[in-house]
Amino acid sequence: MKKTISMLLAALMLFGLTACNSNEPAGSDTGTNPSVAPSSGNDGGKYLNVMLSTNVMSLDTNLATDGDSFEVIADCIDGLTQMDAEGAAIPAIAEKWDISDDGQTYTFHLRDAKWANGDPVTAQDFVFAWRLGVETNEEYGYMFGDGVGNVKNADAIMSGEASSDTLGITASDEKTLVVELTAPVSYFPSLMYFPAFYPINEKFYSGLAEGTYGTSPETYLSNGAFILESYTPGTASLSLKKNPDYWDAARVKLPGISYQVVGSSDNALTAFRSNTLDLVTINGSQVASAESDASLSSKLKVTGAGYMWYLTFSQTDKNAQGGKLANTNLRLAISNAIDRESIVDNYVMDGSLATYTAVPPQFAASATTGEDFSADQKKFADYCGYDVTKAQSYLEAAKSELGVDSFEFTMIYGNNEGDEVANVAQAIKSQVEENLPGVTLNLQPMTKAERLDKMQNDNYDVALTRWGPDYADPMTYMGMWVTNNANNYGFWSNAEYDQIITDCTTGAYVTDYDARWAALYEGEELVMKEAVIAPLYTKSNANLIADGVSGVEFHPVALNRVYKSASIG
Amino acid sequence: MVKYTLKRVGMALLTLLLIVFLLFVLVRIMPGNPFPSERMSAEQIAAKRLEMGLDDPILVQFGRYMANLLKGDFGRGTSLYYGAPINTVLSTAISNSFRIGGIAILIGTAVGLLLGIVAALNRGRFLDGFCTVFSIIGVCVPSYVFLIFLQYFFSFKIPFFPYFFDANRFLFSSVLPSLSLSLFTMSTVARFTRNEMVEVMDSDYVRLAESKGLYGGTLVRRHVLRNALVPIVTVLAPLIVDLLTGALVVEKIYGINGIGKLMVDAITGEGVDYNYVLALGILYSALYIGIMLVVDLLYGLLDPRIRVSTKEG
Repeated sequence: MKKTISMLLAALMLFGLTACNSNEPAGSDTGTNPSVAPSSGNDGGKYLNVMLSTNVMSLDTNLATDGDSFEVIADCIDGLTQMDAEGAAIPAIAEKWDISDDGQTYTFHLRDAKWANGDPVTAQDFVFAWRLGVETNEEYGYMFGDGVGNVKNADAIMSGEASSDTLGITASDEKTLVVELTAPVSYFPSLMYFPAFYPINEKFYSGLAEGTYGTSPETYLSNGAFILESYTPGTASLSLKKNPDYWDAARVKLPGISYQVVGSSDNALTAFRSNTLDLVTINGSQVASAESDASLSSKLKVTGAGYMWYLTFSQTDKNAQGGKLANTNLRLAISNAIDRESIVDNYVMDGSLATYTAVPPQFAASATTGEDFSADQKKFADYCGYDVTKAQSYLEAAKSELGVDSFEFTMIYGNNEGDEVANVAQAIKSQVEENLPGVTLNLQPMTKAERLDKMQNDNYDVALTRWGPDYADPMTYMGMWVTNNANNYGFWSNAEYDQIITDCTTGAYVTDYDARWAALYEGEELVMKEAVIAPLYTKSNANLIADGVSGVEFHPVALNRVYKSASIG
Repeated sequence: MVKYTLKRVGMALLTLLLIVFLLFVLVRIMPGNPFPSERMSAEQIAAKRLEMGLDDPILVQFGRYMANLLKGDFGRGTSLYYGAPINTVLSTAISNSFRIGGIAILIGTAVGLLLGIVAALNRGRFLDGFCTVFSIIGVCVPSYVFLIFLQYFFSFKIPFFPYFFDANRFLFSSVLPSLSLSLFTMSTVARFTRNEMVEVMDSDYVRLAESKGLYGGTLVRRHVLRNALVPIVTVLAPLIVDLLTGALVVEKIYGINGIGKLMVDAITGEGVDYNYVLALGILYSALYIGIMLVVDLLYGLLDPRIRVSTKEG
């Protein structure tokens, strides 16, 4: 008897373990349990199956910090403006806008657009969202403040000196939104397509339990092209369906989008070949094989990813053998000893561009001439290029200035920041050591979190790091090298440079577009001349797009992919 | 038996408390920033630390954490799934990992036992050799390699099973990951069952039973298997925990939103999420301790000598 009982108990416990969670039916959409993307929509058409590289961290416009989250947010929510295929700001919720003569007041006239629950999208929705954004002051709160958005009182509110109702945004009536700036911002309309500036329906938001906004389809409200269909924080797959009440619904051809987080590029490629995914990003080593494969080569499309990889050097006494990297000649020597073309051709291999300017190409075009700010990659050839002789003469100068014959530094890089990063780090090490006799560059891989931590605490010699543009103006890079800026990881300080940046953000040049552009070049030259950073390459994405899929718009800034005009077949 | 049970449960709870405290301290000295940000100023980060109480003395923080934990609240993430309560994220992940792991355990144990019995009963013959080779392969090949293999043949070459996990078709899309996860358990159980059974079959009491005229199923069930089961349960316990706590790589490859993947994300994401690492660490420990407790109690049922010796000791 006892035997039977014990055997039964053992079996029961085993079964209990597996059954203890099966009280929820599979796929039930309870908000905590994900119902995951169907591969085709209920209304007949096929959903576009798209790969995401990382999980969607947040759908809350104030909390999201990564490109994948921004993309999904922008699928669901329209801001005042949106990006056209070339990345220029065109009307979205704002039908048109007036700019005052002094360039400091924008009056946006909103169109008749609806939230998915039927509420009209009003000027008050923007006021609410912006105030919330400035008040909570998360990662992108700084975009409201002086130097970027210049929204009146934003800085004072963020530092706790004023209340959020003093923010320079008012709803003069339901469809008219007035924004006041402390100084003109030439790129202001293009800021408006960035998620931090999107509206939130106050009534809907306030009716939710704290911390639940955007954590499920029930707690998210669209006014944009798509509606969240299935999502739960942490899910590897989510889906969106077309919003029939979208103001521009006629333009939207896709019945829905099904996103799948794919951890490895190999898996992405097989999933693409098996038609499980219609749009994937592959890594550099796969590009060569895709190019030579007739079934894939026609589907390959290289697009700008926007962000630039570069080396930053700690210039404080704490690091680099007592501050050796504070020596400009030494930094110039390293920068000129690196063969960037070889790095992009042999190690990155996905169409990324070797970069010789502190502001990378592709994302910021002049409003008057339309020319890319960094189209001329030879502009600073005197300070940055691949020239071993020059690099060695910089090194000799550094040696005599510092009175030493050899240097040993450690370069930190992330081991979870993309397939090619470790190879690039290795290439830099061997190029620097080969071209600069006496310089030893040790490599120290770590997680990106540790890398950032070390850089922010000034506990590194050299770091391989990256920066992506937040908005379509060179300032998104140049703001970094101002004295004491949190991203000024080298702790470089130059009064002349600081003055130029001030003049370009809030001072003399804000109303004179061309003078500002010229001043920005002057500032960039200071950065290059002193090799504050060593730019390496501007990243591209190698995409595979299935036959029949068209109209997906790719951008290097703000929203990497936009599907409003996309269609299948 | 009651005293034995109470003692074991008491010990388990004490161990868990100690582990929670150790984890709490360890997480705080891990490298990496709980609020990874390249755009926030030092003041903004300081404000966040203040809000989360990260600058309080560690015992105060621990007390506050325990108070919330006893209410079943793990708090919110610091760098992962900002804002969403950890309980929500965790419950989905647990549900996915447990169900897939559970199926794997069932398949692994059932098939493993069967293979082991078949091998033991056919000792030295072809079937024995076959089972041994199978076990060796199963123990050596990592589950994710097997998954990639299955994925390639049954999702890509013959597109029958979904290429990625799909919660709408839970059972269907669990087949490949569960199968690949079960392989290790299957092989381990098969190997142990065979060896234990062979040993027991050589023992004097089985020879005696045989000489008394017992044979076939009755002999195997009553005398051989039962005695062979105690060591099998011991090896099975950690395997169960491993399977339930999610398979890091399998979950990542197959796109399963489970605890293994969550753990990887919490540590290797942009930042180190204190609260997720802690919550998952506690979950792992609690599971491990819980299963070990069940095993201890099962021993008592399966083998009265263990119970008795504890009583005497």
